[in-house]
Amino acid sequence: MLRELLDVLISGITIGSVYAMMAIGMALIYGVTKVFNFAYGSFYTMGGYLAFVFFGFNLGYLPVLALVVPALFLAGMGTEKFIVRPLRKHDNWEMAAVMITLGLALFLDNLYQVIFGSYVKSLPSLFTGNLNIGTVVFSVQDVAIFIVAISIMFLFMIFLGRTRTGMAVEAVAQDTVGAEIVGIPKDMVFGFVFGVSAVLVGMGGILLAPKYYVSPFGGWNILVKAWVITALGGMGSIRGSLYAAFILGIVEAFVGWQFGYTWTLFAWFAVLLITLIIRPQGLLGTWG
Amino acid sequence: MLEVMDVDVCYGEFQVLHQVSVTVKTGELVVLLGPNGHGKSTLLKTICGMMSPAAGRIKFDGEAIDRLPANKIVEMGLTYIAEDRHLFPYMSVLKNLKLGGFNKNAHAKEEKNLAWVLNLFPRLNERLNQYASTLSGGEARMLALARGLMSNARFMAIDEPSLGLSPNLRMDVFNIIKEINDRGITLLLVEQCVPEVVEIADRFYLMEEGLITFEGDSKSIMKNTDIKEAFLGM
Repeated sequence: MLRELLDVLISGITIGSVYAMMAIGMALIYGVTKVFNFAYGSFYTMGGYLAFVFFGFNLGYLPVLALVVPALFLAGMGTEKFIVRPLRKHDNWEMAAVMITLGLALFLDNLYQVIFGSYVKSLPSLFTGNLNIGTVVFSVQDVAIFIVAISIMFLFMIFLGRTRTGMAVEAVAQDTVGAEIVGIPKDMVFGFVFGVSAVLVGMGGILLAPKYYVSPFGGWNILVKAWVITALGGMGSIRGSLYAAFILGIVEAFVGWQFGYTWTLFAWFAVLLITLIIRPQGLLGTWG
Repeated sequence: MLEVMDVDVCYGEFQVLHQVSVTVKTGELVVLLGPNGHGKSTLLKTICGMMSPAAGRIKFDGEAIDRLPANKIVEMGLTYIAEDRHLFPYMSVLKNLKLGGFNKNAHAKEEKNLAWVLNLFPRLNERLNQYASTLSGGEARMLALARGLMSNARFMAIDEPSLGLSPNLRMDVFNIIKEINDRGITLLLVEQCVPEVVEIADRFYLMEEGLITFEGDSKSIMKNTDIKEAFLGM
């Protein structure tokens, strides 16, 4: 029993780390650009399919990532520049941005289906085998997923905290007009943030593909989950999303173990609802 | 130094500024007076690149700036200080100041500018590690001004620097503004109903319903009893 519990906890923390990485991207977009990006899940899928294509050339994991990461960044930046930015001039652009990113999501997902078909694709395993520490058995793949996700997050947090660009991103998030006043090129920051968040969620698509496969409409589940995580963490709060992702990752693992994974979202919404009743602003309702 | 020529500005269908022309020469301290909601702030926002004019030209040092994004204008040495401050609430006072020197020309002189600004505003020196959101109204206004000074500006457009301050603090702020001007920074202030400005201003403009209705120096404004009473509170 205790062994099983520990396994479930480990699995929850592993998946939580990937959710955290993806939710940070979501919190970043919302916190900085105030856009509710409905196409977020489609970038998750895009990561998986891009990797699938490059693996087709018999490349290893590192070269594939070296190609996929910049491609995702450009796709995200392009979305901001060509699709969202032109809307900003108009009143009520937030609603228009929701509609247009929803349209983009439908377009991309159907495009994936046309190109790759509706059957799921799989990516090669990152690692195989198990790691025994005492009586606890870790899958090497889970450990690798955890390490990669956590490293990406930490690198990104250090980048935000220590660099000039990071400072500019934080300034735009806290007061966009203030950022313009001090001479921060806000459009560049918006484009950058969209690019980075596409990388964060797309990497999630690659890390989870060996477990959950890549399918044309697989991004919707992730979009909903990223929303629940950011809402639980406090809209726009990066640190809040981090906690929320681990909490919900562990909830998912326990619910999956006890009742089956179909109940995951049900349990998530229950946790979200109860938290929001007590703390309407989420766990940490401001930029953290 | 700054030439605003026949500028029209609209919010959607609604025209706010009509053929506004304002000139500020190097070293001057010019005050733009006028009632609330008649377009003074809109003019400042248009000058600093946060709004674009529907017609007309704006030149800074002879170069057209009316189609440039705000960050390019800051780089050229023109800084705007908003009436509603727009500080970064969850950053320390120090980080706010450092961000004030974000543009590439100011970045190299950060330490020198910081020393100068903290000398000018000793109160901020005591609060360097506090979040900007914890400052009092007066301190926040000082920080907005100080953050603007960090930008290495040669020209500053300041929107109602004395708004909401007690008469004592107001005097402090005007002394500091005078000091900034004496250091060679050209200033365009928006104010209303503040008699103190007469002592420091070189020239005045009056804006009513989006039109410039008066232009003149301190002497000529002192002769005009209507303006004196209505817009300077004297």
